[in-house]
Amino acid sequence: MIENVIDTTEYCRHCLMCRHVAPVGHVTHRETLTPHGVAQLVASERRGMIEWTEDTVQALYAFSDNGDSRAHCVTSQPLGEAIAAARSEVVAQDKAPPVVYELHDKLQRWENPHEAAEPEPPTGEGDVALFVGDDATHLRPSTLEAALALLQAVDIDPVLIGRGRSNGFLASSLGLPSTAEALVRATLQELAESGASTLLVLAPGDYFAFGQMSDERLGIPWPDDVELLEVTQLLAQKMEEGAIGFSQDASGGPHAYLDPTHAVRVPSHYDPARQLAGAVYPDTDRVELFWRNGRAHPSGNLAVQFTSPDVADQLTKARLKDAQSVGAKRVLTADPGSLHHLAHHASSFDVTVEGLFETLAARRS
Amino acid sequence: MNSTDVESAVMMKNMGSTSNGAPLFNEEMVRSELEEIVGMDHVSTERSDRLVYSCDWFWLPQMWLDRGERMPVPDYVVHPASPEEISEVMRIANTYDIPVVPWGGGSGSQGGALPLYGGILMDVKRMNEIIEIDETSLTVTAQAGINGQQLEWALNEKGLTLPHYPASANCATLGGYLAPRGSGTISTKYGKAEDLVLNMEVVLPNGRIIRTPKVPNHAAGPGFMNLFLGSEGTLGTITEATMQVDYLPETRLFRALLFDDLSDAIEAGRRVMTGRLDPTVIRLYDPTETGERVKKILGEELEGAYMVIGFDGDEDLATLQEEKAMAIFNELGARDLGRKPGEKWWERRYDFYYPPQNLKFPWMYGTTETVSTYSNCKQIYHEQKRAVEEGYPEWDIRYIAHFSHWFHWGTGMYSRFLIEDPPDDPEEAIRLHNRVWNTAITAVMENDGMINEHHGVGLKLARFMRRQYGEAWPFLETLKDAIDPQGLMNPGKVGFGR
Ligand SMILES: Cc1cc2nc3c(=O)[nH]c(=O)nc-3n(C[C@H](O)[C@H](O)[C@H](O)COP(=O)(O)OP(=O)(O)OC[C@H]3O[C@@H](n4cnc5c(N)ncnc54)[C@H](O)[C@@H]3O)c2cc1C
Repeated sequence: MIENVIDTTEYCRHCLMCRHVAPVGHVTHRETLTPHGVAQLVASERRGMIEWTEDTVQALYAFSDNGDSRAHCVTSQPLGEAIAAARSEVVAQDKAPPVVYELHDKLQRWENPHEAAEPEPPTGEGDVALFVGDDATHLRPSTLEAALALLQAVDIDPVLIGRGRSNGFLASSLGLPSTAEALVRATLQELAESGASTLLVLAPGDYFAFGQMSDERLGIPWPDDVELLEVTQLLAQKMEEGAIGFSQDASGGPHAYLDPTHAVRVPSHYDPARQLAGAVYPDTDRVELFWRNGRAHPSGNLAVQFTSPDVADQLTKARLKDAQSVGAKRVLTADPGSLHHLAHHASSFDVTVEGLFETLAARRS
Repeated sequence: MNSTDVESAVMMKNMGSTSNGAPLFNEEMVRSELEEIVGMDHVSTERSDRLVYSCDWFWLPQMWLDRGERMPVPDYVVHPASPEEISEVMRIANTYDIPVVPWGGGSGSQGGALPLYGGILMDVKRMNEIIEIDETSLTVTAQAGINGQQLEWALNEKGLTLPHYPASANCATLGGYLAPRGSGTISTKYGKAEDLVLNMEVVLPNGRIIRTPKVPNHAAGPGFMNLFLGSEGTLGTITEATMQVDYLPETRLFRALLFDDLSDAIEAGRRVMTGRLDPTVIRLYDPTETGERVKKILGEELEGAYMVIGFDGDEDLATLQEEKAMAIFNELGARDLGRKPGEKWWERRYDFYYPPQNLKFPWMYGTTETVSTYSNCKQIYHEQKRAVEEGYPEWDIRYIAHFSHWFHWGTGMYSRFLIEDPPDDPEEAIRLHNRVWNTAITAVMENDGMINEHHGVGLKLARFMRRQYGEAWPFLETLKDAIDPQGLMNPGKVGFGR
């Protein structure tokens, strides 16, 4: 793994070609906080030209790790993975920001960064499981309730697993791979015990964590016999089959679907989510954000929410400003973590933030 | 000296020091003055920023850092949000005699954005707003710090395009397109960046904010906008520009051809251009690049000179233009490889610039591109190739070239030398690098070529400017002295000293 890190940062430090989609660089305008800048720091530290100090570590931890750089890399360099591995070296040297060690403690004890509460046990056994995660448990339970109501409407009563547990991304991104591994393994254990052959997830971040990150960063392959599926994809399919329908609301003015954090890592998210939004709000009233689909930028629900809260806020506000500038009166998204951050700042932008599942559940016909 | 010593030595040199070596005024004082202008969050003296802003896309600083050596670093990295803020920053620079280096995307390959004498590095990327898209006159007015690809996406949403397609659009800024007089892939039809600009706003070294006339083609006195095109930040900071845009073309046709002989291929290109067939692009690879890079990137194993030609716009017109061009190519014995490879080239046209296809360390390389008339271009190619390849047998230099930006009167030649196993010692490497450059540029100048077509001069070519301009050089120096008497703007670049 560490050899890959070196190779990747060696390429990326002299390549500026994902600059146009670099979310942190875009909001801070600091060259240092673009993929090439961060790679330059890692490469320079390895040459003994800089040390990991408060300043340089802060820059290292400001990298968003949301997938934009890789999605736009012509040679698919895994820079996010490289930065995570570089951070793990910094953690091992006791030079990471203090908040990283506090989070480490919380993730080890409570398996989530938000509440001093252990995960709830799974709800039983069944063919379909739903990974709940920590955001939907502690930050936005309404998303979970709405998703469950919608699933019940199509005759799916999933076993709930990972109730209150982080999907492992945060730990991985902070440079805590063994903790990330423990979190992923705990969820996979629950999945195996549930007997499910399908695991549903609420957001692209969960899809990425289980479908790609655990294998690539932690060496934990996804079980061959389990299908990983986003709830949005499943519902869009059911809607097309006529198994579920929604009543339209034409009153609210222009709306936009906001691709949530990590969406660029899961292109299969874009269309189904928009189809669902279009079932409630007329397509004629739909506007598209500038930062959408393959170039979607994240909201603040990344590791930066803890290590560089100002950067996280800037990312979230940039999403709302984007919505405002294309004339959207409301934005919808599926991800509970993104929703939590967006809702916090929405009033300053005269935009209403709605959970996709909450809106769908309220308008089921 | 350790790194901190180097940094403070640079700083003291920039700011002046008393006879006993103490700084004339302290860093914090200037910093707080700058902060008052742009805000605390937008001035940095952090080590991380100083390191990252000490290197642009010039091989030399990249190599230097690659080998663990230090570059001169800026004393302050400043992010202004408006021309007024830049104007105020210039007031401070003038008061304390601090150099100012404009920085766009840092993608320049000539070392133009390097803070050679420390001072204020002025990153203009906070100024990234689109001010107006005029769909009647087909213009866009935007701030100079906007990212090229982001600007392009915004125009595309309205069915428009800024037809300046450099391979660096993802990382370069609008100001950075104009300051070194860049060219994009389709410059043959649409012109260089300088041909697309209608007007600009510039902050002069004395802090005055000026605007050039609304349109460039007039008879109301001299066209002084041109002064800032190619000045690479040595005469002022471009803060806004109005650019001509086009409708996204209805059709784009590409075709690939193979010529046995490079001279015939150049002649074919000349006839297409002088016949005013208006191609979007003519990309002609010499036999070495055809054999190496075309093979690597497009997967085609071919011998000869590979050409891609494109036409765009109205489908009927483009088809007719292509037919007429094909008649010329047939006459000159070209083999028509069809549309598919041409289209593939268009899709992959930027892959030629990315790792791992692109250059990587420890390689030594330089893009010795030039422009000349049709009467001189073949001679320049053969002379440069011979001199570079034969001049350094011990270094096994590879020389490749393509002809990419065509005019009615001549063509740009994008040539490159490459040494895969250069000297380990960084200083020795620089000496070799400079010697090869001398050889390559001498071949250009002796045959009436220009030392550069689109990357600019920067630091890399500064030493050739006096010779390039001859008797006209003192005139350029006089202009520089009149506009920037203290020599604050981007010292050491474009041939102007400090
Ligand atoms: C992979 C790659 C491919 C490239 N392909 C092309 C190509 O196809 N065509 C081409 O023309 N170039 C190309 N370049 C070179 C380079 O990207 C261009 O010259 C680009 O336009 C520079 O823009 P920038 O914003 O990065 O400028 P910078 O590198 O930041 O600056 C370049 C020079 O302009 C000055 N400058 C920058 N902004 C301003 C401003 N607002 N006001 C005054 N001076 C300013 C700087 O001081 C410096 O001297 C390529 C570079 C790379 C890395």
